Amino acid sequence: MAAATGVLVRSSGRPRLSKKTLENVAAYLALAFFLVIAVFPVFWMLMTSLKADRDLVNPTTPPFWFQQPLTLDHYAYLFSATKFLTWLGNTFTISTCVVLITLAVCLPAAYALARLRFFASDHIGIGIFLSYVVPPTILFLPLARVVADHGLFNSKWGLVMVYPTFTIPFCLWLLTGFFRTVPIEIEEAALVDGCNRWQAVLRVVLPLSIAGILTVAIFAFTLAMQEYVYAATFVSSSPEKPVTLGVVTDLIRGDVYFWGSLMAGALLAGVPVAILYNFFLDYFVEGITGGALK
Amino acid sequence: MAVGVEERLDTWVAVAHTARRRLPRVKDVVPYALVSPALLYMLALLGYPFFLALYFSISNASVEESVGTFVGAKNYANVIGDAQFQKALLDSFIFTFGSGIFKAILGTSLAFILLRRFPARKVIRGFLMLPWTLPVALSILSFKFGMFDPQFSVVNWVLAHLGVLHPPYPNWLGDPIPAMIAVMTVNVWRGFPFSAIIVLAGLTSIPPEIIDAARVDGANWWQRWQKVIVPMIAPILFVGLTFDVVFTFTDLSVVYLLTNGGPINATETLPTLAFRTGVLGGDLARGSSIALFMLPLLVVMVVVMLRSLRRRDI
Repeated sequence: MAAATGVLVRSSGRPRLSKKTLENVAAYLALAFFLVIAVFPVFWMLMTSLKADRDLVNPTTPPFWFQQPLTLDHYAYLFSATKFLTWLGNTFTISTCVVLITLAVCLPAAYALARLRFFASDHIGIGIFLSYVVPPTILFLPLARVVADHGLFNSKWGLVMVYPTFTIPFCLWLLTGFFRTVPIEIEEAALVDGCNRWQAVLRVVLPLSIAGILTVAIFAFTLAMQEYVYAATFVSSSPEKPVTLGVVTDLIRGDVYFWGSLMAGALLAGVPVAILYNFFLDYFVEGITGGALK
Repeated sequence: MAVGVEERLDTWVAVAHTARRRLPRVKDVVPYALVSPALLYMLALLGYPFFLALYFSISNASVEESVGTFVGAKNYANVIGDAQFQKALLDSFIFTFGSGIFKAILGTSLAFILLRRFPARKVIRGFLMLPWTLPVALSILSFKFGMFDPQFSVVNWVLAHLGVLHPPYPNWLGDPIPAMIAVMTVNVWRGFPFSAIIVLAGLTSIPPEIIDAARVDGANWWQRWQKVIVPMIAPILFVGLTFDVVFTFTDLSVVYLLTNGGPINATETLPTLAFRTGVLGGDLARGSSIALFMLPLLVVMVVVMLRSLRRRDI
């Protein structure tokens, strides 16, 4: 009897076990497949940036590994013969200014939308958020005129002026959400303790939302660092270019492509953005899907 | 929609309402003073340019003729009759919806994989998200000078060594159909992680008991997906889809940097045509008319989005 049960258990148990193992193997294989797809082009850039020129233009050898010793020549060229550092500096200046403008404009508005009731408040909030989908490709022609009217054409300050149009909508949306999560009782308690409304916001609500505010700042920063369309439209003089534009345009001279340095510049400028963005990713998803779920 | 989600939503809305009710009222001007900087900024640099674009499209404005005179719907008529525009319109749809299908398939598969537990999950997720988190203007260089290079294409090298391709090898960016495949590939590469995290956000919001119940009731994986999961995460899928369609349909960087609309307009989309006409060609009027043809689709998308957003009571 016992033996029979044992056989029964084993014969019904074994296929289930192997099916699960099979499922695991399939999942890991699929994961590996996606990982290769996602990372390979980036790995390729890294390799190209470190390959010697002779190695780069030799089509007979397998392209996946080094045939010649590694070299840092492309990086050296990037820093010595191009304005790479200036472009990096420009991007940093632009993004920082954009973050400051975004926060200055969004913090009061988000507080009002989260806590105060007033005529058309719902419509204003949704209206500003929806402007996020108005694309640069519809606006670059008239905006070029507006930027030129302010004498900011061909200058990084023109980009500082324009970039908040795409950081404000999303950041306002997120900040409003963050302010709503600060418990109302805390603000009430501050009022009871003798703070006025302004002090309550400044000393209680803002410190409690600091994580949210930082998140929004990082997001605005990465969005500004990623931008390309407006930069390509408004800026053509090399010392004013942000790094995304400078790398793409200035390292291609006529038919001569500085492959290694192109890839080196793209990596040095792109990887920090990717890392920053990655920290922000969950909030981005929550911001986008917040209306539909949570 | 799921019961749990509805309940959570109701609580949240209720909290927001009490919050507004319980705090002392402020003077009527205060809220407007707080909102107005944001509102004015958007009106000045988004609203005004938008109307300027409308004006350009019904004038003969150009870089030399900066004010222009009213010409009515002439630009639109010219643009519609132009074969190059018609091709660009068609290509825009092929580009958007063709790559959309692949992003949906790849993204959904990846979302189910990410749902599982595996070691170093955070780090691996970070690597998987690289296509989305890297600035596309930079990562595209890898495709232009690596994957799809006419002489040193890695794609060709791999396919040839696998015995799939035989000479003459496709010139990815130089032949019309391969070029279209190339720009769509880059768009899919860039977008599939985004699809994955959107679907993943939906999947993790479903209580596992519901899926288990369906499984116990004998639903196979396709029925569980079609009858249980999709209806529950439909709102989230809609929002994700809307964003993706809007971003792809209006995207300039990928096509412009990879093929510049070529070869012989084979990959010309509305944004690249508008860019070439308006910015490089200096014809503001015609460029604006072309760009504004993107608007109807955007309006549809905005309406879809509004319906999903109404749930969030801002």
